[in-house]
Amino acid sequence: MANRASSDRPATVALIGNPNTGKSSLFNALCGGQARVGNYPGVTVEHKTARMSLACSTFKSIELVDLPGTYSLSARSADEAVSVEVLCGEMPTVAKPDAVIVILDATNLERNLYLLSQVLELQIPTLVALNMWDRLEKEGMKLDAQKLSESLGVRVVCTSASKRFGIAEVQSALLEILEQAPGSEKANSTDSRGVLERGALASASFPKAFLESVDELEAWFGAQGCPLERFQIERLLIDDSQAHSYRVIPKRISSEVAQRIATTREHLATQGVSIPLFETRARYGWIKQRVVGVVERQARERRVSTSDRIDRWLTHRWLGLLFFIALMFLIFQSITAFASWPMDGIGFGTQWVGQRVEAMMAPGPLRSLLVDGIIAGVGAVLVFLPQIAILFFFIAVLEDCGYMSRAAFMMDKFMSALGMSGKSFLPLMSSFACAIPGIMATRTIENRRDRMVTMLIAPLMSCSARWPVYVLMVSAFVPKQAVLGGWVSVQGAVLFAMMCVGALVAIPVAWLLKRFVFPGEPSTFIMELSSYKWPSFRVVAMRVWERVLSFIARAGSLIFVTSVLVWAAAYFPGDHSLVDQATAKLEAEQADPNADEAKTQAWTSEINQLKSDLISKSYLGLAGQWIEPIVRPLGWDGKIGVAVLASFPAREVIVATLGTIYSLGGGQDETSQGLAENLRSATWPDGRPVYTLATACSIMVFFALCAQCVSTLVTIRRETNSWRWPIFSFVYMTTLAYLGAWIVYNLMSFWLDP
Amino acid sequence: MALYPTTQAVPVEFLAPETEGVVVDLCGEEKNLHRLEELGIRCGCKIRMLCPGETCLLAIEGKKMCLRLGSTAEILVQPLTP
Repeated sequence: MANRASSDRPATVALIGNPNTGKSSLFNALCGGQARVGNYPGVTVEHKTARMSLACSTFKSIELVDLPGTYSLSARSADEAVSVEVLCGEMPTVAKPDAVIVILDATNLERNLYLLSQVLELQIPTLVALNMWDRLEKEGMKLDAQKLSESLGVRVVCTSASKRFGIAEVQSALLEILEQAPGSEKANSTDSRGVLERGALASASFPKAFLESVDELEAWFGAQGCPLERFQIERLLIDDSQAHSYRVIPKRISSEVAQRIATTREHLATQGVSIPLFETRARYGWIKQRVVGVVERQARERRVSTSDRIDRWLTHRWLGLLFFIALMFLIFQSITAFASWPMDGIGFGTQWVGQRVEAMMAPGPLRSLLVDGIIAGVGAVLVFLPQIAILFFFIAVLEDCGYMSRAAFMMDKFMSALGMSGKSFLPLMSSFACAIPGIMATRTIENRRDRMVTMLIAPLMSCSARWPVYVLMVSAFVPKQAVLGGWVSVQGAVLFAMMCVGALVAIPVAWLLKRFVFPGEPSTFIMELSSYKWPSFRVVAMRVWERVLSFIARAGSLIFVTSVLVWAAAYFPGDHSLVDQATAKLEAEQADPNADEAKTQAWTSEINQLKSDLISKSYLGLAGQWIEPIVRPLGWDGKIGVAVLASFPAREVIVATLGTIYSLGGGQDETSQGLAENLRSATWPDGRPVYTLATACSIMVFFALCAQCVSTLVTIRRETNSWRWPIFSFVYMTTLAYLGAWIVYNLMSFWLDP
Repeated sequence: MALYPTTQAVPVEFLAPETEGVVVDLCGEEKNLHRLEELGIRCGCKIRMLCPGETCLLAIEGKKMCLRLGSTAEILVQPLTP
């Protein structure tokens, strides 16, 4: 390791381990961080950094880097590549680690030691955290941690990160390692930094011919002005050409490197070295020697565990699938049942704030901006906060209890028919919350073609931004009644159906993409299932809180700005003095206890007429007239067309835009109860209602399929490193959305009014 | 070449539910075999079939793993009599 120790820079400490060994839990425990934890593989797909509050004499501070889980440093997927890049110092934003904490699952020691055997090759001071220590007894195992430490030659600390056991010991062991960094005062004392001599590493048992080839290549790379670490050269020889290890080669010598590697492999084959299998055999041989007398397994009769009993039902070919569908249905029913009271409360609060502002200010542009623009726009979206919180509560519970990986197992049978694998299921499920983490979660998919297809269909899953649109339309136009003995609400069933639309359309889209755009053999599927556990209240509460905060932040930023812009487009140009005068008179009349009701109603009608005339001549009105012929086949008027256009940055903006348009455009009276009421009373010039059940369904289907989310498109660009795929996503999804909305509107219009 | 006796070896998918077997050989593309071995599926390890099928659910040394290898690799196991 380079001699970089100094007290004027922070130390970088990496945290690595197999998936589901509790890395993020240990990370949170060590630095009080709030990294997302989950009970399924692939929760962490990028590195996360946090500062540890430990006083270290050798370094200014300590930065802890949580890395995605990996079984080995032979990176095959994008998330595994992140771990390798950080450990090898190839990540531009992270300094090469000064120490590494390798977290091992104490109940599955041999397999976890495989990764440790590779990390030790990097010659970075290493500390081992033997996690899940509390589960050893339940598994009928005994482990001698002291003996393991002596056998490995590195410090071993026993931990149960989720129970905060052993955290102080990890901190003090880490400090000792860092304070012995090269160049520090203590560096020459007894070395307990966890850096092994070459002869003690697993690679020392690699075939002699292989080691000689590595020596030759090391010299050759040095001569080319591209010195590589020994471990990187070993990986080049062992991994296939698609693996991450090849990315470190400069383009100028890449073809020569490929030629040399191929020649060296041919030579090694003649020497009886079977690449890549010799590596696993040599490493497991090394592991076998290290665990002699360390692990003791009690011979006991195998008993069927509770987890096995649950799995018999939940992973059953048909019952498991039925359970999954029933569970999803129940979740959407619960959301409609539990959210109505808090939604009414927020709606009432928004109206109350609007009325207070109206009472304090005289009619005019500023009052209109506040009441019709900001409060009507942002308030219309905030009403849906309870639904989002309840949805995320259920998602967090499912993620934390360990059910998600079972669902992925069941779905693999179905996904393989489309040429994909169950690994695509987890990112797609994540996309029901938000497509952005869903697209990022595709990093766990090793097969590039599968990853691309998953990324391109992920935005079709009904994310939480679509909820405000669905709920607004469902609550305004779907009858509030229950069927099947009062157990199933019609509104809940329609919501569930809308959530399924995108997923159902994704099936033929995935098939077409896999058949014509990314053809190839179906990929294999290997995934470890995490253990069942009771969901942690803290983890669930944190996840719900994060999403609630993120929703409020969006309402306070993107939706706020869009509301102001839409208000300005709907307010200008135009002389509002007549409306302001009439409003002032109306309010004065309403303040009088003996107000003449007929007079009040006449003024209200006059104000609505004036507002309607003004909005039709505004910039927004003109845009509406321009777009109306395009959206008319979908049953929409110009106002809906403009609201859909304005919602290009984010889907939920349509609700804020409609809130502003109907607040500014009149059509309200003192009995109006929010946006839903305004939509119900909107009419075409001939008096027919604009919004019917067919129009509402057409809008919902459009939003179920459209690509109205800039952040998602930008994420696809970042993950694919090309603008081609976000443009492709936008075009195909918008076409699908238009066609879907047109078909639904025409079918429903024919059905409801043949 | 198999490291363990393979006289009565069967592909892992043939194990009946709740029966156990010991891995005696891995066949197929070497890069897939390398991955399987990294995951701890290697000769000598004990496997219990939990849910058979093209995509099967196995308990490997106590850890549950789902697996669908298709034609890319095959795990041969020696069934253990209960």
